[in-house]
Amino acid sequence: MSLNIFMQQLVNAASLGSLYALLAIGYTMVYGILRLINFAHGDIFMLSTYIAFYAMTSFLLPWYISFAIAIILTILFGILLERGAYRPLRNSPRISIMISAIAASFLIENLAIVIFGGRPKAFPSVPAFSKIISISGVSTSSISVIIPIVTFIVLILLGYIVNQTKMGMAMRAVSKDYEAARLMGINVNTVISFTFGIGSGLAAIGGVMWGLKYPQLIPLMGLMPGLKCFIAAVVGGIGDIKGAVIGGFILGFGEIMIVAVSAFLPYDLSGYRDAFAFVLLIAILLLKPSGIMGKSSVEKV
Amino acid sequence: MAILKTDNITMQFGGLTAVSDLKIELEKNQIAGLIGPNGAGKTTAFNMITGVYVPTKGKIFYNDMDITMKKPHEITKLGIARTFQNIRLFKELSVLDNVFVANHLRLKSNWVSSVIRTPQYTLKEKEMHEKSLDLLEKVGLIDVKDEDSYSLPYGMQRRLEIARALATKPEVLLLDEPAAGMNPQESQDLMSFISRIRDEFNLTILMIEHHMQVVMGICEKIYVLDYGVTIAQGNPFEIQNNQKVIEAYLGVD
Amino acid sequence: MKEKTLRTLSWGWWLKNLVTNKNNLYTIIAIVFTLLIIGVLNNTLDNYQIRIFNLCAIYIILALSMNLINGFVGLFSLGHAGFMAIGAYTCALLTMSPEVKQMNFFLKPIVPWLANVQLPFPAGVLIAGIMAAVAGALIGAPVLRLKDDYLAIATLGFAEIIRIVFTNLQSITNGALGLKGLPNTVNVWWTWGIAIATIIFMILLIKGSYGKAFKAIREDEIAAEAMGISLFKHKMMAFVIGSFLAGVGGALLGHLMGTIDPLMFRFLLTFNIVLIVVFGGIGSITGNVISAVIVTIMMEILRVLDGKMDFGFIEIQGIPGLRMVMFSLILMIVILYWQRGLMGTKEFSWSWLGKISRRVVFRTKDC
Repeated sequence: MSLNIFMQQLVNAASLGSLYALLAIGYTMVYGILRLINFAHGDIFMLSTYIAFYAMTSFLLPWYISFAIAIILTILFGILLERGAYRPLRNSPRISIMISAIAASFLIENLAIVIFGGRPKAFPSVPAFSKIISISGVSTSSISVIIPIVTFIVLILLGYIVNQTKMGMAMRAVSKDYEAARLMGINVNTVISFTFGIGSGLAAIGGVMWGLKYPQLIPLMGLMPGLKCFIAAVVGGIGDIKGAVIGGFILGFGEIMIVAVSAFLPYDLSGYRDAFAFVLLIAILLLKPSGIMGKSSVEKV
Repeated sequence: MAILKTDNITMQFGGLTAVSDLKIELEKNQIAGLIGPNGAGKTTAFNMITGVYVPTKGKIFYNDMDITMKKPHEITKLGIARTFQNIRLFKELSVLDNVFVANHLRLKSNWVSSVIRTPQYTLKEKEMHEKSLDLLEKVGLIDVKDEDSYSLPYGMQRRLEIARALATKPEVLLLDEPAAGMNPQESQDLMSFISRIRDEFNLTILMIEHHMQVVMGICEKIYVLDYGVTIAQGNPFEIQNNQKVIEAYLGVD
Repeated sequence: MKEKTLRTLSWGWWLKNLVTNKNNLYTIIAIVFTLLIIGVLNNTLDNYQIRIFNLCAIYIILALSMNLINGFVGLFSLGHAGFMAIGAYTCALLTMSPEVKQMNFFLKPIVPWLANVQLPFPAGVLIAGIMAAVAGALIGAPVLRLKDDYLAIATLGFAEIIRIVFTNLQSITNGALGLKGLPNTVNVWWTWGIAIATIIFMILLIKGSYGKAFKAIREDEIAAEAMGISLFKHKMMAFVIGSFLAGVGGALLGHLMGTIDPLMFRFLLTFNIVLIVVFGGIGSITGNVISAVIVTIMMEILRVLDGKMDFGFIEIQGIPGLRMVMFSLILMIVILYWQRGLMGTKEFSWSWLGKISRRVVFRTKDC
């Protein structure tokens, strides 16, 4: 493999890893607080790309306004989803909540098919992001470089919110001990809504950048990334934001490397790219179920 | 010879030592008590003996057999049964089935013969059924045998938990706060109940209990834990007059 | 005394017991009656209706197999589509004629050891179930230690891996092209015969000692273990039996469709079964049987919503839209407002029927 191609793949891996990381954070935050796999998270991500798509193509808005609208509407949608599908089941068995999450996911996907149509749509290309830039012989589209940079900035902001603000402190308190936090006068419902808001916002940022990088939209586009990013969150240690980022990058790099290495192997492995995440999941669950950053806990009897 | 012996077992969770160097020795047919303030590590000790936790250090012997690494279900099969502090009945199962299912471990037939109902299986099932009824009769729950277990009043639920443990045919019975939430009259009844089942089922009993009246009333030997450390052991009279125990319970000025 | 024990142990006694027990007698009569109805329907329904009738039976098998794992042992497994895929492909590859196989594998020839195999359909179905059960044992050994959502996501992941592997194993599964022209051997006797056998099997299993042990695990794992029930052994048992049945169901489904490909075994397929199980009541055999029939028929009736009539049950290219919206909505509503489903954990029994009819009789007497 020539160094140039390798560097190019590395850039691709960094941007895919960033997108996975943004999605994985949403899973890990919600799981940290509610012990719930928000199956519909991938579909929220899908919605954001469609909103941006329609804002740009039907309403002919400039890209920055479209993206802002997409992010805001997606945040609202995430909050509504929690209200409608999860809050009524807060005290139900976990299996019920999970079934509700699966149902919500299917509902959104199929509504999207009905409303947006099942045919793939092409995400409009924005000139600012589709320039080909080349640095010392390695050429790549500008979006591949922008994605990691934006992700980095977003992560710093998120770190500030979680660690420095009052709401962030409340979030950490609720995820440590739900009951105790409630008894200490923290408004748990507000915290949960806020968490869903942030998670959905990050998914939307990831979503619009995904649209720029991989400009084909279908209503089921959130399904696979959604599952994979939950896995990224588990691999990193569920409930831990840093872990989710690490998990996202491991996944991104692993997938791109399978494709890259496959070109030099007698047997083409690139078809197994999607299986990587699941194999990784089963491996980590067997070796260290609490994930890379997670602490093991003892069940109380 | 001691029927159950813990040889300096220690349990650490991360940096926290829940139980350190616990040494318990139970003689056959003894009723012993494990007492101490909340968080002293009593339930953790039970969890180690019954295989829920593996001790960080030390060994547990049952009839001179090392059971330290055994799984909970294996330990029950060997003859150590337990009840739980926060009642853990099988809620959707009837009272009778709660006891019936505790017989399952002694069933020798495999699942195929259970499905085709081989004569051997049918006979065994009938026997399990009768034994369960017999046991419910003995603990005074026969009248409610078809009720859902969760609908029973609290005292009966505790009794059912004990009955369920007895159905596994134990030699040693561990009771985790059997008198919790009971009024003096009920605890009085419980005391006589426990003595009675000890004699009837030829049991050795170790119980965690906060009701001093109960502990002092029926325990022949008492261990006192405080912050995981055994601060005293002896008969009720010795314990009542032990300075350390009094300090642990009342605090020191 | 010894003589008496020996006598009680004999199979003759067992058979006599079977026939003399009133409830067993009722059951046998009911089965005969059901078979009669199936025979009548087989002769009166048109082809399209027969296909749906077959689907009802297949979904009964699938729902019960999922219910065994999810409803009775309380494990949340979402790997059904994977086991079905294994069953469907195994049976298809074992029963298709060498010529049909050759026609299918035009992109890359089939591996030689499969090229000339052709077994009768019953053997194919049985091996399909066994292969799925073996897969269940292999995957169950590591993942059954996990709980709740971790188990769900691991089994879901496993099903996805199966699908991806099947898409890529061109010379064994024909990859994304799928297999066409599966022998048209499935009829109502096969599907309903196996469905009835599955129902009886489940009832006997659940009513027996093992079934009670399963329920104990569902109610409280820690207490069950303290009662001497080996969690691993029983979970594994249920998981492997459930996988076997899923494999059998998959094989029947494949042969009913006549065509299979990896896309057919997406998570959507598992979702359909989850819907049936939740709607019927998680942990009720009766509820699941009823709901499998209702949901299967509704799925066909609601096909009108999609605008076009499609005879395939699972569409391969056109994605169902509004119909699936309806189903997602139904599932949401059931889980939000009616969590126990049709039957909760209750079951039909002859004594229950007796009670009801007596009540009706008394009421009419009062009047």
